[in-house]
Amino acid sequence: MTMSRKIGSCTTILASAVLATLAPAYADEAQDAATKPDTRSISLGAGLVSGDRNSRSLFSQYNGLRKNDSVLLLDFDYVRRNEESGTWSTARGRNLGLDTRELGFGMQRQGIWSLSVDYNEIVRNDPRIANTALSGAGTTTPTITRLAAPGTGSELTFQTKREILGLSGYAWINDRFQFEASFKNEDKDGTRRWGRGYDCATAVCPRTGVNAQSATVQTWALLMVPEPINSNTKQAEAKLNFHTDKLFVTAGYYGSFYTNNNGSLTPSVPGALNGPTLANQTGAAVPLVTTGQGLQNVLQLPMALAPDNQAHQFYLAGNYAFTPKVRSTFKLAYTHATQNENFAGMGLTGAPAGRSDLGGVLNSTLAQFGITARPMPKLSLLGNVRYEKKDDQTPLAAYTAESGQIRPSPWNNTRVSNTKLGGKAEASYLLPANIRGTVGVDYEQIKRELPPDNVFVAGISALRGKTEEVTYRGDLRRSISETVTGSIGLAHARRTGSNWYNLINTAPLVYGTTNSPGAEWVRAGTFPSMLTDRTRDKLKGSVDWAATEKLSVTFAAETSYDRYTPPNQIGGLRSGRNWLYSLDASYALSDKWKATAYGSVGSQAFRVEQGNNGYIANVSDRNTAFGVGLLGKPTGVLDVGATLSYVQDLNRFGLGVDPFGTTPATVAANSAQAALGLPDVTFRETRLNLFANYAIDKRSDVRLDVIHVITTLNEWTWGGQNGLPFFTYGDNTTVQLNPNQHVTFIGARYIYKF
Amino acid sequence: MKHHYKEGLLTIAAGALLALAGAAFVSDALAQQTAARKDLVLNGDAKCTRCHDADDNPQILEIGKTKHGTRADGRTPTCTSCHGESENHINKPANAAERPKPDRTFTKKSSTPIAERNEACMSCHRNDSQRSHWEGSQHQSRDVACTSCHQIHTAHDAVREKLSQPQVCFTCHKEQRTQINRPSRHPIPEGKVVCSDCHNPHGSVGPKLVKRDSVNDTCYTCHMEKRGPFVHNHEPVSEDCMNCHQPHGTVAENLLKARPPFLCHQCHTPHGPNIVQVLGQQTPGQALSSTSTGKNVINISMARGCTNCHTQVHGSNNPSTTEPSPQFMLR
Repeated sequence: MTMSRKIGSCTTILASAVLATLAPAYADEAQDAATKPDTRSISLGAGLVSGDRNSRSLFSQYNGLRKNDSVLLLDFDYVRRNEESGTWSTARGRNLGLDTRELGFGMQRQGIWSLSVDYNEIVRNDPRIANTALSGAGTTTPTITRLAAPGTGSELTFQTKREILGLSGYAWINDRFQFEASFKNEDKDGTRRWGRGYDCATAVCPRTGVNAQSATVQTWALLMVPEPINSNTKQAEAKLNFHTDKLFVTAGYYGSFYTNNNGSLTPSVPGALNGPTLANQTGAAVPLVTTGQGLQNVLQLPMALAPDNQAHQFYLAGNYAFTPKVRSTFKLAYTHATQNENFAGMGLTGAPAGRSDLGGVLNSTLAQFGITARPMPKLSLLGNVRYEKKDDQTPLAAYTAESGQIRPSPWNNTRVSNTKLGGKAEASYLLPANIRGTVGVDYEQIKRELPPDNVFVAGISALRGKTEEVTYRGDLRRSISETVTGSIGLAHARRTGSNWYNLINTAPLVYGTTNSPGAEWVRAGTFPSMLTDRTRDKLKGSVDWAATEKLSVTFAAETSYDRYTPPNQIGGLRSGRNWLYSLDASYALSDKWKATAYGSVGSQAFRVEQGNNGYIANVSDRNTAFGVGLLGKPTGVLDVGATLSYVQDLNRFGLGVDPFGTTPATVAANSAQAALGLPDVTFRETRLNLFANYAIDKRSDVRLDVIHVITTLNEWTWGGQNGLPFFTYGDNTTVQLNPNQHVTFIGARYIYKF
Repeated sequence: MKHHYKEGLLTIAAGALLALAGAAFVSDALAQQTAARKDLVLNGDAKCTRCHDADDNPQILEIGKTKHGTRADGRTPTCTSCHGESENHINKPANAAERPKPDRTFTKKSSTPIAERNEACMSCHRNDSQRSHWEGSQHQSRDVACTSCHQIHTAHDAVREKLSQPQVCFTCHKEQRTQINRPSRHPIPEGKVVCSDCHNPHGSVGPKLVKRDSVNDTCYTCHMEKRGPFVHNHEPVSEDCMNCHQPHGTVAENLLKARPPFLCHQCHTPHGPNIVQVLGQQTPGQALSSTSTGKNVINISMARGCTNCHTQVHGSNNPSTTEPSPQFMLR
């Protein structure tokens, strides 16, 4: 026997012995891996995305894949639990190579204390891009310059970005008391596509005689003006929780603070812009009306941006168990909100004498109490009452001067006080044949502060001070067999309210009682849909079928119908109808493969009638969606998945002519236009997601992701599609969206676990 | 050759002895383990894991990776805390044809009443500020089981992961599954905003289980610039953002329930006598001319619709008492 063979024999013996003795240790290690949360991994890779920013603008609205064609893909995870102390340490990074990155660090001794820090970036890229000569976008003083012709300017994109830093934690003071606190700071920057427009009012820039709208005098203009965004939001919340066997109560404070670094927007506007016809776009600019204040000056007046505001809320909330079968919930809250940003500091002038800021004060009180009881094993009862009062204590002042209106000028600012009272009662009983039946009634009352005589409410015909809605509902649920369960529910609601007050006339008129308004108001009036009488009926049902151990199917259907009854039986929203059918299925092909599929069709529609400008519209959104998915593990080291989804929204507008129209010429003109109608708006998206994850060894994986998206958005909002001309602003700015977008994303990553 | 034969025998004997010793060690260890019924992942779990071990169902043991599996935290449960003592399951009665199920089970086909299943969770989690209003909430009163949404025996509970949470909610909320893919939406598919950013599925004081006390208070957590109060308020805005917006997604821009002017005309009297129309699809009599006013129907129907001029629909804090008056939400 050679020395090497001797060594070999000894090695074999030793290995056998070591393996035998270490077997339990290996078992422990395997068990630890299966039962301990400890994770350390880093994922590094690259992604490629096809096309340019215009051809992927819908796909890249929020995912950070707008600017660059290639991106770094970097994520990491760290989780460790100290088994002796129960202390968790976590760190997590996501999308670190993109401008949607997230970072989080946390540490907690479970059940004793916890601390975490999170950083998150959310970016929104407007899918639409402007072609413009405007400069200074993002500042409070942009300069508008007219393009010689539409489409000859530079591309201007709009992006907002939020950077959010959050801190949160808790500490158990003793077995009964816990303290929780959180703080969130958010900075938001960027620009938002916005606008400004004005049509000269007689009292502002008179447009009669030589100043009337013509080929050489322009009395109105619409402009695209980007809103500059540079603001900060802070939210802080602290809670002290206390519990006994029967009582849980939280005493808390929630403060929220908004600070806008921009007070107002003052664009610089040229003295000549386009006229209203398409021919004006490429011709010479038309001078703006110069009488009175002059349209150019009016368009250069500062526009108010959102003011700083703050709110402090103190609350007491929790639950109490009278008995194990009778439990209650409660909340009491008081909120003091203010808005007192200095007008001059915002760059806004002309406030009424004595007012340097609004002095806005809104005090809100909330009280809620709910109770549930199970007096018998088969019977459950539920009751809930909620009261909320918003008391707007903002001082009134004469902010508004607008001559030429019926009401005497000036008028005061508006306030938004209201009181809401809501409640519900419900009983649920287990009937024979294993049917659970539930009946309930809901009630909601809203009282609103009606504007006094010295306030003018624009653009509506009437208001009412109180609305009440009562809903009756019932549903049945049944386990039809061990594998099938079903439910059906029905609800009927009716909303009514107090008298309507006509605010157009000098003295408030009460419709239907005293001082009733004239016939024309009755015919052409429009009544806010949130205030009109309404009946609402809903029906919904579902069936769950666990056909086999491998196959489960769910079918759901629901429909609702609303009828609005304004006092004149004509104006505004008249009806609404929604319905949806959906079918979902899941099938386990084997232990290693699972397939899913779903499909749904639905519609949301409403009918609006406008006696005032003589049209009716049946507006609908018909939507279709389906998807299939496959998830599998073909080998012990390979995971794969695929999903294919399709969504379609078809918007139709169903225009018609007001049947009560009284002006023959208008009716004739509108009839001809209604025959042409409005083009449909169609949105379609087909999306294919594929992934494969291959485990190279115990510590490392490679992963491949492929996403392919085809999107179509045909719409007329901005024109420029389907042969229709662009909607063109007064300075020839146009807004565009590529209606047919095809995008492919490929991402490859190496994942190392250590 | 003889010498080699002896060496071989010696090697085999030594190996056998060591293997026997190893086997004896393992056997002893197993015997001790069985005798002591060592807990595997939870305090006191040996009662169950003596059968339900890694060979039986490794998924069950993954509870060790979760907060429930933190044994140093004295509040954490054992198997029977949730599943009940289950004596008949552990010691099958002699006259039973099949082993009875545990006292409480949580599968879809479970015969355990949902209220009883949920009580297994709520007996601990009721004393939690996020779940204080579970009783009487829509999900509780509609018999939604905690385990309809949560997976307990896994380190990655899908409903608690931002990217997968919406899919869990869409199991019931089908309409929203379609809405979140529309062109105007929150970044839900990207996992930057998730259902639980706005809703508290465990109960709240607000409608639709919104996280804060009202729809508006919930929206203000991200859109605080809309809160005001303003010099000129727009009452439907102050009352309920959902009067105009559909937060889950729309085809119309800005999450509007319908595009202007159809949305605005649900409350407001419109300008002018003409029917809604678009450029390039007008009858000759309605085409824009050099004398068309600013309130022509194209300016109301296209681009931003009514908000082409009425830009301050959320309220204006402009105090100016000079004309044009800011009260019409123009500036």
